[in-house]
Amino acid sequence: MRSSDTHAAIAAHRFGLGESSLNAIGGDAPGWLLQQLGPAPPQTGVGLVSGAEGIRRFAQFIASQRRNPAAIGSAQTGASMGASTGASMGAGIGGTAASDTRSTEQQFGEHFRAIVQADLRARLSTAALSTRPFTERLALFWANHFTVSMAKASARGLVGAFEREAIRPNMAGNFEQLLKAAVQHAGMLRYLDNDHSAGPDSAIVLRLARRQRADAQAPPRLTGLNENLAREILELHTVGATGGYSQADVTAFAQVLTGWRVPLQRLLAQPADAQGVQPVQFDAAWHQPGDKVVLGRRYAEGPQALDQVLHDLAAHPATARFVSTKLVRHLVADDPPPALVARLEASFLATGGDLPSLYRSLVQSPEAWAPQQAKLKTPEEFVISTVRVLNLGEQAFARQADGAVNQMGQRVQAAPSPAGWPDRAEEWLGPDAVWKRLEWATRVAGLVGRQADARALARASLGPLLQDDTLRQIERAADGPQALTLMLMAPEFQRR
Amino acid sequence: MMQDRRQLLKSLLVGAACAPWASLSVAAPQSTDNNRFVLIILRGGMDGLTAVPAIGDPAFADARGVLGQFASAPLALDNSFALHPLLPQLHAMYGRGELAVLHAVGLPYRERSHFDAQQVLESGGTRPHEITSGWLGRALALAGGGPLSAVALETAVPLVLRGPTAVDSWAPSALPEPAPDLVARLAQMYRQDPALAQALARAQGLRAQPGMAANPSMPGAPGAYGGGRAAVALATKAADFLQRGSRVAVMDLGGWDSHTNQMLPNGAMSNNLRTLDASLAALRDGLQPGGVWARTAVLVVTEFGREVVPNGNLGTDHGTGGVAFVLGGAVHGGRVLSDWPGLARKDRFEGRDLRITSDLRAAMRGLLSDHLRVPRAALDALVLPGSASLGALDLLRQAAA
Repeated sequence: MRSSDTHAAIAAHRFGLGESSLNAIGGDAPGWLLQQLGPAPPQTGVGLVSGAEGIRRFAQFIASQRRNPAAIGSAQTGASMGASTGASMGAGIGGTAASDTRSTEQQFGEHFRAIVQADLRARLSTAALSTRPFTERLALFWANHFTVSMAKASARGLVGAFEREAIRPNMAGNFEQLLKAAVQHAGMLRYLDNDHSAGPDSAIVLRLARRQRADAQAPPRLTGLNENLAREILELHTVGATGGYSQADVTAFAQVLTGWRVPLQRLLAQPADAQGVQPVQFDAAWHQPGDKVVLGRRYAEGPQALDQVLHDLAAHPATARFVSTKLVRHLVADDPPPALVARLEASFLATGGDLPSLYRSLVQSPEAWAPQQAKLKTPEEFVISTVRVLNLGEQAFARQADGAVNQMGQRVQAAPSPAGWPDRAEEWLGPDAVWKRLEWATRVAGLVGRQADARALARASLGPLLQDDTLRQIERAADGPQALTLMLMAPEFQRR
Repeated sequence: MMQDRRQLLKSLLVGAACAPWASLSVAAPQSTDNNRFVLIILRGGMDGLTAVPAIGDPAFADARGVLGQFASAPLALDNSFALHPLLPQLHAMYGRGELAVLHAVGLPYRERSHFDAQQVLESGGTRPHEITSGWLGRALALAGGGPLSAVALETAVPLVLRGPTAVDSWAPSALPEPAPDLVARLAQMYRQDPALAQALARAQGLRAQPGMAANPSMPGAPGAYGGGRAAVALATKAADFLQRGSRVAVMDLGGWDSHTNQMLPNGAMSNNLRTLDASLAALRDGLQPGGVWARTAVLVVTEFGREVVPNGNLGTDHGTGGVAFVLGGAVHGGRVLSDWPGLARKDRFEGRDLRITSDLRAAMRGLLSDHLRVPRAALDALVLPGSASLGALDLLRQAAA
């Protein structure tokens, strides 16, 4: 076997998302990858809405719940299912007991069902149909790095927009640009509660405190900071948990972030003509006055401070190390080769976080082309690569787009925490997880296995990665569906 | 009152340095090799002062503000502590002497990262990522009558169960079962890939047991947006596994990261408490036949507690000290075990959090050594390294067991 064939197979599966044939890659596998670089193209799909529209839909839901007197009690439930618009609306919603939470939850789900399904379908179909699969893989990587998850109701209807508006256009610039786009997107601000964080000495807090003194019955709706976003930016997006920050840094950074909000209240007041309202605004009334010191640097009060902190965080050496490590872990091995990480780290620091330079360093490094398939596909990658290799097209995602991935233990666009989905094999190797892959492969092979020639497909797709033993098992299979199941479940296809 | 209690408790169980717990523990070796152990991880950091309000602390009402006001009266445990009104079945277990509440407990970890705290909670190390397998996974091989069979009630095997002993994992499925012939062929193919081979073999072995394959009565996958019923169904399934001979079961109840509006009657916190109460009751019910419950100890833990004072959104930000529950027919319950630090600002950790005064690992040590008969030397060296000075909390009923 020529080594260029091996490289083509590695490019197709490790860096890309699986190919049915290696012919298109040709003799220059690194070149095939590098010519794909650039911002990710618009997603394919219908019914996709912008972040501004997603926010407007949220405001509509709150408004509809308020208009319906029978649902007054549960309106706040709808607002609060992780969303807690109550706080953002000041003393708006009362504290009466709700009797019918399920119906409000169902209404909430119904309200966003079309948007959510369109987002899921677009994400999966775009990845499955793309002619730039390396770029699509990087888009999936960055969306996971900057996780916004609809597992929290406050981000419902915004996750797809976040990926389309914050991640995809910005992944071929520098890291600072991507970081700022992610942090300042409505999806992130709502997902990590910044929407509701107010400076303890801000105008809004003082005003509400006066109002509460006048009316002792009114509960204190809003009293100050919510640290969630500040902590996760430091820990998960930039310098990492060992990046050397203290609780005081988290608090000060949270103060810097105060005022960056989604003006749901204004949208609520004018839901009909709200298109002109920007989804994210700096509201000075929520901002904590005075200077703040984050990681030893002083920042003056005002909206510019967030840009400055993010600029400094993006340039921090710990960020270079953290981001490089994650990128290498995703593309090369669960335990990243230290020399490769060091090379990317140096490139990050030398280029001011230029992301294409990082990708190029990676693709041009020998460690990235080791023939051993060190990475196990996530359920989402397994489904996408199966659809690509079998040319199933977007009809594979026509109904309940994320059903298969969910069954295997991964909820698309709904990671359980801001850390996103894990990127290590052992997290996906539970007996039940592997069994669910087998069940799904059996179902897919049952549908298309009679028309497919699994032997030819395995050779064409996996090339030199295909082991003799595996091919022999596929050849000996009892029938077409069984052969195809074996091919999909082969270590060479489960790993990359 | 609180002061008296504090003194009393101090004399009973404080002080890692003098380790009084060890001397109190009574081993019951004759029957331990049939015991069951369940670990439930509340991911996200459960707010201990919401689940178990310290109603007797003079600083409680002021410090907690609206978070200290409950829609109905908390369920008193004693003069100092109560359970949240949405935990009535736990309260009944407390009344029957089957539930012990640990308060102001925590890990050696003092930072406020979920992910690092969960890593410490599950690995049993003293620092994040110091150890890459799980304390319970390591204990399986070292327990009396071991290696013990264990099952995770989720698709993945959580870190806490990873170790030298292979374990099962199980979650409901809506897909058809693959044919045995296909599975045999796949097993042949996996001879070159030990990790996949082992996962497949275990999944297959589990399904070979009668009644363990597809389970059409199960609702959808767990961890769905609501999740209450799914969690109860999983707890019932856990009881089923334990009835069939699994010695150890682990399950997750997530969604406890309550940064906003945590007092809403139908908000996430309330729903989580209902789910917790219902799941533990379902587990108990499922273990009653055959008297398995009488041989069961359940440990319910979370990665950290939350700040004492509400944040700006009537929620709470990440803290340190919190609550753990120990329950089961084998447990000496009806007790709140706490060296109560007090809620006044000066008594808090960094002025913010409920101070950790008891190390959660002492409870783990007590259960592992007395209930699963893991030798003390193995606990010190392998299972929970660096914890020898903590002793082992005495949590089981006396040798009547």
